[in-house]
Amino acid sequence: MRTYNYEKSQGWFKRAAEVLPCGIPGHMSPVVNIPVSDYPLFTERAQGSKFWDVDGNEFIDYMCAYGPMILGYGHPAVDKAALDQYKVANCTTGPTTLMVELAEYLVETVPIARWAFFAKNGGDITTYSTMIARKATGRRKIVAIKGGYHGVAPWMQSPGHPGTVGEDHTNVIRIGWNDFDAFERVVAENDGDVAGFIATPYHVPVFQDNALPENGYWEKVERLCKKKGIVLIVDDIRHGFRLNLGGSNEYFGFKPDLICFCKALANGYTISALVGTGELKNEAAKVFYTGSYWYQAAPMAAALACLKELNRINAPKIMLAQGEKLLTGLTASAKSHGFDLKVTGSPSMPYLRITNDESQMLHQEWCGECTKRGAFFASHHNWFMSTAHSDNDIEKTLEIADEAFGVLKRRHG
Amino acid sequence: MSFDLIKANLNLYAILKNLEDLVVYDAETKEAARDWAVSVQFSVKGGPKAYVAFRDGKCEVGRGKCSRPSARLYFVSPRHLNKMFEGQANPIPLKGLTKLRFLTRDFPKATEKLEYYLKPTAELLNDPSYMALNTRFTLTTAAYALRELFEYDPIGRLNATHIANGTVMLKVLPSGPSAHLKFEDGKISVHKGDTKDPTALMTFKNLEVANALLNGKSDAFAAVASGDVAMKGRVPAIEAINIVLDRIPLYLS
Repeated sequence: MRTYNYEKSQGWFKRAAEVLPCGIPGHMSPVVNIPVSDYPLFTERAQGSKFWDVDGNEFIDYMCAYGPMILGYGHPAVDKAALDQYKVANCTTGPTTLMVELAEYLVETVPIARWAFFAKNGGDITTYSTMIARKATGRRKIVAIKGGYHGVAPWMQSPGHPGTVGEDHTNVIRIGWNDFDAFERVVAENDGDVAGFIATPYHVPVFQDNALPENGYWEKVERLCKKKGIVLIVDDIRHGFRLNLGGSNEYFGFKPDLICFCKALANGYTISALVGTGELKNEAAKVFYTGSYWYQAAPMAAALACLKELNRINAPKIMLAQGEKLLTGLTASAKSHGFDLKVTGSPSMPYLRITNDESQMLHQEWCGECTKRGAFFASHHNWFMSTAHSDNDIEKTLEIADEAFGVLKRRHG
Repeated sequence: MSFDLIKANLNLYAILKNLEDLVVYDAETKEAARDWAVSVQFSVKGGPKAYVAFRDGKCEVGRGKCSRPSARLYFVSPRHLNKMFEGQANPIPLKGLTKLRFLTRDFPKATEKLEYYLKPTAELLNDPSYMALNTRFTLTTAAYALRELFEYDPIGRLNATHIANGTVMLKVLPSGPSAHLKFEDGKISVHKGDTKDPTALMTFKNLEVANALLNGKSDAFAAVASGDVAMKGRVPAIEAINIVLDRIPLYLS
């Protein structure tokens, strides 16, 4: 099998490094793709489940733009809705009625939702959700999970990260995932001062196995929140619509007060949403929160089209099934070469790790070997399935993965 | 822990550590140290203790107390020690008057040479042999300073919590210098040289790349993406190290 070279990507990176901090900043930074030399740096075009880099290399994409792509790149119904709306009105004085229609559709689709609010990025609405929790309760503290990711505002970053100061974390208490006793303890220690609990539906740290909720975890958290008047916030930005269209809490069987959506909401168009219970609608109304581009109509049109299509095809069922096929094939292939490939998380957004080497170097090497053969695998982060990943894609991916395991076997015995 | 106390730790445990290599790689100091048989105890009231021992042309710099030092230098405070490192104060010799020549001439000459190698100018770095030694000493200083900062600096302590048990190696390719930090149940030890099975590895393509990065002249992210610097293994440990490396100039600039 041919392996790729990235001459043009590297050339562009040299130019990028001159004028952009990090060359490519943020979560798209190539530094987490190890070895960097096995990965493309710049994309030229994308369609369906694939993208092509500036060197013309084709990749079956298991990162899906880190989540936004859920129906496949360039989905005709979504793109048509957005492009049609661009022609009519987009960023205007006064919102279009699409904002109302989209809110109505979310309220119909998400069982706990009685209202919706729109912004641009996930971090916009995770912060908004904590402000609403504080307004509603008159309390200060937010309890979050160690290693949980809710965006890049200072309060969300790990203490000690550059650009943050200790005071940013004064009112954020981090506890371990699945540790209900710890939650109970911090609630008791801060009695009457915990405004909200924010967590993803299941734990998706980077460079680590992902962890589903233990039996009864969410029920206990929900019960304690209700008892103590704590606002329960689900950050469904990464998981949203890949487990259940009504919110991932429906998949795990609990009812939060607020749910944050973004990524897959509009198949790549710029929009995020916060939905909430009726009790919190007036509280949300009292928190002033806005942005220059938050009323753009075209992303709202895209979101509406995307949600309708996800509903029409029962998207979570497709992604869970395709993920299961892929993972069954990959683990079998690993085993045939003498490797143990551990899968954690959900089949529609799995995290994989070769356990034969605790340092993860072997796993990084395998992901790199797969990527330079055309299956874009990240070694540090959960992957994302989309409804565009076909049986042919999976078959081709398994061929690539098998060859990559063979390379590792020959190299390391 | 106060700023001065952390700085004193860095001076004694990170900067002074380079004397071990100075007597190996700097011809003049190597020649001078051939006949030295002296051990100097540094004691700081309310601060760190370290010793420097020269014997058979070799040097050992260690934490804590040295048995039967031939000279003892006392400092009334961490700030007093730091002032001496800045050339603005003198130590109080408690023992070792018979080693006066060493203490007043030989030892200061060695530390001046160390300072010369640790304070590069653009012109000096054009000399490949100077650049090689500056890189070696800067890497050693960084590695040993990291241990202190992970232990005592407020930001370092926060970042230490992100590092699981294991060994992180920093290595200049193709053949060094290198250093590694071992993290084990909250304890950190530092060693010069390679380790066989690091759990995380950060390599520099060559001396020039290492020198630019360690002296804060290049963008680490861009260097990794361009392949000049490579990381593998448990990357969160390397990320934490990079954050704490940025703290060193706050104390030692």
